[in-house]
Amino acid sequence: MARDLGNVLIGVAVIVAAWWLTAEAMIHLRGAAFPTPPEAFVALWEALLGAELNNATVYAHTQSSLSRWGAGYLIALAFGLVAGMAFGTAPRLHDAGMVAVYILQMVPGLAWIPIAMLIFGLGEAATVFIIAMTAIPPIVINTAGGIREVPTVFTRVAQMSGREDSSVFLHVLLPAASLSIINGMRIGLANGWRVLIAAEMVVGVALGLGFSIYQSRYSLDFTAAFVAIMVICVIGLTIEKLLFVKMENKVRNRLGIDREDDT
Amino acid sequence: MIAELRNVSKVFADPRSGRGLVALNDVSLSIEEGEFLCLVGSSGCGKSTTLNLMAGFEAPSRGQMLFRGEEVSGPSPERGVVFQEPSLFPWMSVLQNVMFSLQDGGARKAVREERAMEQLRLVGLDSFAHARPNDLSGGMKQRVAIARTLAMEPEMLLMDEPFGSLDEQTRRKLDNEALSLWQRERKTVVFVTHNIDEALTLGTRVVLMSPSPGRIEREWHIDEAWPRDLSSPRMVSLRQEVVGMLQACPCANGAPRPSLLTLEED
Repeated sequence: MARDLGNVLIGVAVIVAAWWLTAEAMIHLRGAAFPTPPEAFVALWEALLGAELNNATVYAHTQSSLSRWGAGYLIALAFGLVAGMAFGTAPRLHDAGMVAVYILQMVPGLAWIPIAMLIFGLGEAATVFIIAMTAIPPIVINTAGGIREVPTVFTRVAQMSGREDSSVFLHVLLPAASLSIINGMRIGLANGWRVLIAAEMVVGVALGLGFSIYQSRYSLDFTAAFVAIMVICVIGLTIEKLLFVKMENKVRNRLGIDREDDT
Repeated sequence: MIAELRNVSKVFADPRSGRGLVALNDVSLSIEEGEFLCLVGSSGCGKSTTLNLMAGFEAPSRGQMLFRGEEVSGPSPERGVVFQEPSLFPWMSVLQNVMFSLQDGGARKAVREERAMEQLRLVGLDSFAHARPNDLSGGMKQRVAIARTLAMEPEMLLMDEPFGSLDEQTRRKLDNEALSLWQRERKTVVFVTHNIDEALTLGTRVVLMSPSPGRIEREWHIDEAWPRDLSSPRMVSLRQEVVGMLQACPCANGAPRPSLLTLEED
């Protein structure tokens, strides 16, 4: 635990040091108004106390970003899990279906903007669409892959016990693949969060952490952008490390594979 | 006769060459009710394939696989399998693993639990009912796997090198347990092994298979009583005979792997 904390502190220190050096260099070499860490942390503190960033509090920006992310992610989960389970259990669907998924995965987050605008116009739906599209592929790939990698002997045990296909799926394939499925869900969640900035470029309403960063190009309030970046990093890390690591450990324990990892 | 392979051939598609790999070529074999049949042979001779056909995990490419006179259409609790590789579900307790294989067919949970406990008692592991499989040794895991399969009350017990990954001492111990189990219940057992001593210790009949393509080479009926003394003159000469036949096969010594053939080649 102490070592973990030490690693976190060192990691953060490296980032802050690099940031600070860059900021000083840019200020002196180019005369740019590059926010230094102290300036940004003060601004973050003020924002947390209620100061407005680009016409809204940091809480309002965060809340609207989180709800878009949540909506996009829920859609991705629904599509991704269903497709992943179908591809994982039907080899014929898999071979053709995965090609499509890999193509989707190759589309960079920003490239979805014109497509989203053409389908939905400017607005909330376009943003949610972009988040969903970047979260779906890892969920499908890991769900299908996890199911396909379940040892044949497990399925055979269930079949010889006279279990129906549905029971084999529910009691054998899903539990055996659950770690891989959770991993896909985690990557999907992180993908969706990272694409938020791009996705909020097309949002109609002037709210959101990504929007706030984008907006600083016009308002020249770069400190506000850094505040938003910090908030995005903290939220992303918190959800990924706390929520998913806990969930993964729980599943590992339930699967009875915790001990193998220790040794 | 409880089961029969009638002129069975099995061809697997080789994913790299796209040609067929003949695992079994025109194999005929009858399994008699109540016998302890040992299938021996070097790797690649098709003994596991034969077992998988009996279990219904694979279907013959040609010929028929019959159980009680009817063609086998898939796996069923009447043909219970004990696998070589770890097959217990690590996310279930030992007891849950055994209960998983019990058909619920109306039986209440308490009844199924009692039946599962009974099987665990028979293999001496009832005190580990609530342990996780990963807490058990390799030999204990295989005992649980046997208890799980027996709980289904199969008519035929198919064992695919069940003790192949255990140390010699544990293997002998479990061989004896398997034998006393068979002597108690007189269930038909088909036991696959590459260990000739194991086959000679256990089987009422030993069938030798040879590879490229997999076929039955020869068989021996052994009417010796148990416990068998492998150093007795009769067993020693029997052993020499089996080993001799095994080595006579061109591919038994160092041939890398069965060659790719088409069914037409003989």
